Amino acid sequence: MTVLAADTWGIPGPVFLRWYLVAAVVLVVGTAVYRFRALAGTPVPDHGSLGPQQVAYLNGGDQLAVWTALGGLRRAGAVGVHPDRRLATGGPLPAGLTPLDQAVHHAASQGLRARELPRDEWVRRALDELRDGLVRRGLALDPERRRTLRRGSILLGLLLVLGVARAFVGLTNGRPAGFLLLVLVPLIVAFLLFNRVPWRTRAATTALRDLRRRHTALRPAAAPAYATYGPSATAMAVALFGTATLWTMDPGFAEQAEIQRQAMGSAGSSGSSCGGSSSCSGGSSSCGGGSSCGGGGGCGGGGCGG
Amino acid sequence: MRRMSGPSGVGIGWRPEIAGFVADLPGLRFVEVVAEAVAPAGPLPDGLTELRARDVTVVPHGVRLSLGGAEPVDPARVAHLAAVATALDAPLVSEHIAFVRAGGLEAGHLLPLPRSREAVAAVVANVRRARAELPVPLALEPIAALFDWPDDELDEADFLTEILDATDALLLLDVANVHANARNRGGDPAALLDRLPLERIAYVHVAGGAEAGGFYHDTHTDPVPAAVLDLVRELCARRRPPALLLERDGHYPPAAELRGELDALAAASGYPVVT
Repeated sequence: MTVLAADTWGIPGPVFLRWYLVAAVVLVVGTAVYRFRALAGTPVPDHGSLGPQQVAYLNGGDQLAVWTALGGLRRAGAVGVHPDRRLATGGPLPAGLTPLDQAVHHAASQGLRARELPRDEWVRRALDELRDGLVRRGLALDPERRRTLRRGSILLGLLLVLGVARAFVGLTNGRPAGFLLLVLVPLIVAFLLFNRVPWRTRAATTALRDLRRRHTALRPAAAPAYATYGPSATAMAVALFGTATLWTMDPGFAEQAEIQRQAMGSAGSSGSSCGGSSSCSGGSSSCGGGSSCGGGGGCGGGGCGG
Repeated sequence: MRRMSGPSGVGIGWRPEIAGFVADLPGLRFVEVVAEAVAPAGPLPDGLTELRARDVTVVPHGVRLSLGGAEPVDPARVAHLAAVATALDAPLVSEHIAFVRAGGLEAGHLLPLPRSREAVAAVVANVRRARAELPVPLALEPIAALFDWPDDELDEADFLTEILDATDALLLLDVANVHANARNRGGDPAALLDRLPLERIAYVHVAGGAEAGGFYHDTHTDPVPAAVLDLVRELCARRRPPALLLERDGHYPPAAELRGELDALAAASGYPVVT
């Protein structure tokens, strides 16, 4: 039996630590720089050019875009709901419908339930179309770009596994691993940060904040007169402030159609803008860049109180 | 301090529910806000800040002062009204000639006074008390009533004239109320206009209402009837008030309809359209 335990995996501690550090720094800095660039996006010169459904997708993904279309159609009197929770159509179809409106209306005419809408084939296709348009404008990220972004965190995860394994083996054999453990802590933090991949760019976050400020009158807390504002503004209210708008506007419909209640955007932080959408991996991670997430949105202070 | 100009032209009652609609009226120079809905210590509601930045006149309109109460007005409520006026840089404030509480009981809404000399004295005393604490003039609004008190000593015109003569208050005339009172209690609304001190009018209220059960109800949730617009024309023919304000308090119609009401008011008064 040897008195001194051999170097773990035959590599002396200082040598491993040096190369491990180099790899960690390269990976973290590389990922951070890539993320920062990839998430910058293209600033929107005129936020008014964004339609409610585009805003909804940027704010809450597929699910919120669907609720927004449904809200606009409901305000226009084009959809209703049966007591068995199946959607129905009625009334004349309003002018200026988007492809998503048409898809949702079609799904409603087939008697789908509201929560089944995102899985409908037509709706699915309209949502992809909506997203592609936003990707082209530098506001949303396409799935491929999101996969690439995730690759950085996957590599980081592998490096973490390696480090943890070495520390575990070393400690089991009575070797010192203090420095390695010290390096692992910030690495875990970086991994957790990078593991969250938003679906919108920082330009989109800026646009959303500006739109919330511009549409404070549509906050559900103000009990907006949706009849006065009309279907388009009502849809924008759903897009910016979540389905709480639908519950304020038409509680009977919202309840019968089983629309998930969510209030969002009131604090302006992106954390709250992640409602029930399953694709909500992002949101707060768009804060990674730091500056893009300060301040609070359109509803600071006492403006919300009334 | 820059004091904004008095109410002018056609305005609309600012309510949070339609703040976005009001903000989009390009020609708007004047709105009114329910004073009790504003907390002068905190930040103003977003929409009002925006209007003030556009130099739109904002007049606080009190509903809870109970100027017609037998007991003195609550100093805290007067102080609140004064603070709101300062926060909004308002050129004047308005309140109702009515009582909302008596003997410590809150009625929850505006109740009409008997038109007696005693009531005149009570109102005058309260107006003077309030005026002493207010930084700006006070405009008084008579309210609608479905019935006359049995012991009325004065008619509507004398009642108002006596109160105005004894104070420096301005008059906030509600044209829909004039119509409602004439319709429900009998009398000629035009004749009332002839006897009121029209030169004391700061601005007028115009609101919608509906006939129900043989009475005209000043609901503020229905369109302005043609008869009320006719009365606006009658008033403007005698002496055009500096400003007219559309009051709407619920059941808000589509924007086009609301704009139509404002345009009708502009047409009846001859003021420029604000939409």
